[in-house]
This record gives sequence, C-alpha cells and structure tokens, in this order.
Amino acid sequence: MTDASPGGSGAGTATAARPRSSPPRPSLGSNPWVIRGVVLAATLLLWWLVTAVGLVRPLYLPSPGSVWAAFLEANSVHPVAEGVDRMVRGEQNYYLWEHLVASLQRIGIGVGAAILVGIPLGLVMATVRWVGIVLEPYLNFLRALPPLGYIGLLIVWFGIGDTSKNWLLFLAAFPPITLATIGAVRGVREDMVNAVLSLGANRRQALTVVMLPATLPQVITGIRVATGFAWTTVVAAELNNGIPGIGGLAYLSGTQLDTPLTIACIIVIGLAALALDAGIKLLESVLVPWHGKA
Amino acid sequence: MSHDREVRIADLAHTFDTGDDGVRALDRIDLTIEPGQFVCLAGPSGCGKTTLLRLIAGFMQPSEGSIRVGGEVVTKPSAERGVVFQQPMLYPWMTVRENVELGPRLRGVAKRERREQAGRFLEMVGLADFAERRPYELSGGMQQRCQIARVLTNDPEIILMDEPFGALDALTRERLQDELLEIWRATGSTVLFITHSVDEAVFLGNRVMVMSPRPGRIVLDEPAVFSTPGHTLDAEELRALPAFGELVDTVRHAINGTEPDRSA
Repeated sequence: MTDASPGGSGAGTATAARPRSSPPRPSLGSNPWVIRGVVLAATLLLWWLVTAVGLVRPLYLPSPGSVWAAFLEANSVHPVAEGVDRMVRGEQNYYLWEHLVASLQRIGIGVGAAILVGIPLGLVMATVRWVGIVLEPYLNFLRALPPLGYIGLLIVWFGIGDTSKNWLLFLAAFPPITLATIGAVRGVREDMVNAVLSLGANRRQALTVVMLPATLPQVITGIRVATGFAWTTVVAAELNNGIPGIGGLAYLSGTQLDTPLTIACIIVIGLAALALDAGIKLLESVLVPWHGKA
Repeated sequence: MSHDREVRIADLAHTFDTGDDGVRALDRIDLTIEPGQFVCLAGPSGCGKTTLLRLIAGFMQPSEGSIRVGGEVVTKPSAERGVVFQQPMLYPWMTVRENVELGPRLRGVAKRERREQAGRFLEMVGLADFAERRPYELSGGMQQRCQIARVLTNDPEIILMDEPFGALDALTRERLQDELLEIWRATGSTVLFITHSVDEAVFLGNRVMVMSPRPGRIVLDEPAVFSTPGHTLDAEELRALPAFGELVDTVRHAINGTEPDRSA
C-alpha cells in the first residue's frame, strides 16, 4: 500500500478547538423547503392548466386529478369498470402498496446479498494482491453491463420467477459495494494501522478495531450507490412476470395505455427511491458521525 | 514491562526500491541505545531519520544489518516499542478516553483497571476534562498530547517519537517539551526523539545525534546534560547557558557538514 492521500483521515494541523455543534448555515432568505414547496405547487398548477385547457390529449398527459384517482383506485377495492357490479382488488389483484413492498423485498434481498458478498470480497481483493489483480477486470466488466443486457440469460438459467430477479438485482448491486470497499481499504493511511500494531494489536484486532471502522464511511456510500442502481434496475427485473411489483405494474399499465396509473407508479417509484436514500443517509449519520470531520 | 533492555543496531543499511537503481536511505549505522536514554536525532529533512525510526518500530525490514532489542531481532511492530507519529493518528470513531485506553484494551485488561491507567495519563497531559470528546473536537496540540497519553498508558519500554511537536506553535511546543521531560524522568523509558530543530534536540536529549543525508549516516554523537534531573534552572536559564549554545553550534555545524568555528 503506497497510498498517502493528504485529505485522508489525518486531522493533525488544526490549531483551535472546534465547536461541538455545527455553525448556523447562512440563510437563503427562507427555509429551502418553502422554496421547494412553491416550485412543486407551481409545477402541479402548470400540469393542471395544460391538461385543463386541452393542450395535450389525456392519453399522452392525463390530468393530475386522474393520476390521483388512479392512485386511489389502485389502493382500494373498486368496480372493474364504470357501471359494472364486479369488484376487483387494487390493480392485478394487488394493492399498489403491495406492489411496492414486493419490489422493496427484491431490492432488500438483492442488496442484502450484495453487502454480504461484496464487503468480504472487497476486503480480500484489496489486501491479497493477486486476487485483486485477477478479479478487478471482471468486476469492472460486470459493472459496465446494462442489466437489461443479461436479464434474458438469467431467465434461461433461473426461470421466470423471483430467483432471476433477485440475481439481477444482486449482480447490479454488488460491483459498486465491492469497488467502494476496495477503495476504502486502499485509502486507509498505513500509519493508522501501524499505530494500532505498535499498541500491541494482532492482525485480527487491526482488522476489527481499525480497518473496519476506517472503511465504514466509504462502504456505506457504496451501499447507497448500489441501492440507487438496484432500484433503477427494478423495472428491468420486473419486465417479465413482474406482478406483484411496482416496476412490473408501471410497465404493464403502459402497455395497456393506462397512462394515469403509469404516472402514478412512476411517482411512487421516485418517491420510494428518495425515501431509501434518505434512510441510508440517516443510517450513515448514526453509524459514522465522524465522517468528513477527521 | 521491564525497562532494562538495550537497542542494538548493527551494520544497518536500507535501500528503497524505486524501480531502476533504488535510493540508499541509510548506510552503515552502528548504534547502541542504553536503557533509559533520551536520544535526540537531528538532521535535515529527507536524511533518513524517519526511515531509521520506522525500521526500529518494525514497520519495515532493513535491506542489510539488524536491529535487536534485548537481543531479539525486530521483525514486526510490538507494544514494547511505542510510536508517537508526526500526525496524531487518533481514531475518530473512539472518544479521547477510548483512544488512550486502547493499548490495555487490546491486551484484555479489565475495564476498571484500564480506566484507571488511562485516567492517570489523561490527567498528566491535561486532557481529563476532554476524555469524552472525539479527537476531531480537539486542537492540534491537544490531539498530540492525546496521542502521547495513548502511548504512555501502554507503558512501552522504548518510545519512538517522530517530530511529534513539528506541527505545533512555539508556545505549545515548549510546554509539551517540559511535560515530556517530566514524564521521561518519572517513567524511566528509553526515548528516541526525532526532530529537525537543533534547539529542541539539545534541550531534550541526554544524548544528541546528527544524521547526514543520502545516504543517512550518524555524523555526530554527543552527550548532553540539559535534560537530566538534578539541576534547578528553568528552561529559559538553561537555554542561556554558554554550554547550551556551544552544543547547539556543534550540532548545527554537524548538520551543515562544516567544522564549528571555535575562535569566535
């Protein structure tokens, strides 16, 4: 290891005790959420105006109201069509939130497996030279592949059920985690490890007491990237036999020209991604409060 | 830990492999450091001081020759040789106290006992009130004191210090020098202290050495008396002694590769 990035983890040259709380941010005139809310309201109003005056046919751009109606209908038991007595449950016999949960479960399995495999693999690749040399090209190869390119192969191998979808999400998620782990290990200053060895640590202690916590911030960032990538892959994973699944429903409703439902699905997919990202960020601030400070 | 083993460096040479020829960082170093000595090693930047310290620490293996501590060849880092780095190397995921307790914790010392040991040295370096803070909440001088407390709590036989006060302002530096001397007198540890400050070397060491660059060799090895206990002068008065100035001159000329001008 010859890495000596100056930014690194050394915080040696500070001359004054830093305050415990972060300084107050300069005000942007008002709370950013106020500005965001105003912009969102304006966008919705513009959307409503465009559809209300009939500038665009509803097939291409349905009104906000019909998207909201599609969203509500997808979460309730409703008549199969107007004036018909037969009732159906949500869409495709699942409520919208059940579609969402099904997709989140796949993400959970795929990213979970990627964490379990990716972190140890990254540790080995970064510390055992020849393993890194041999495996790194394959890892970069896999990372560069668009998941749509190999979903067909996975279906041939693992069938059309959930197994192929979980594999796809796993394969999408694990290269970013492994690469982040490798980068993190290589970025640990040699003397951070030397210091603990000079305090009497054995190799196992050096790993658990120094290496793992030192690499944690970057590994969590890798998990964030991987989760985002897996989420964008979920539609591809659910193109075939993807019900229940929010990606499958978005695709299916599009092929049925049910654009209000498609747009409702898109909004749910996007909001779920934001929530996932915010959740991981929160986890990061709890697990690695020192990130960026030392 | 017993504090009665000497460091014996025999016929040491080290070459860094840089591809074509390699850089000869150290050449023909023969040196014995007696138990309890405070050895200051001065020399210009890049002369190999740090390389010598890292070899003794066991962070790397010498190309030729050997380093023995109490007859045993040094092959890897060990708790008997504590290292104070130029940068504090504290762990930001631990509090100041957890950092200081780390050595005993790695050895499996019971919590109460290691807390007591750490508390003593936290007190000594004036960080008792900051024990529950994180290292990045401390100033540079406090971080360096924390690192020193961490090494002292581990009770090493030999303390290797690599320009530990180099990044500090003059006032903090002088205070820490005094504290370090007090600690050394109290513990009786062997110290190898690397510095590029001639004044610091003469003030702290009871033996002052100078290294010349490329390849690094010991070109001066003089006893010094200013840090030994028993005199009643304070730091200012010590520095004003003619003998102090003479030794500073000798060391400075050794670093510049010239003879001291005795006629002046």
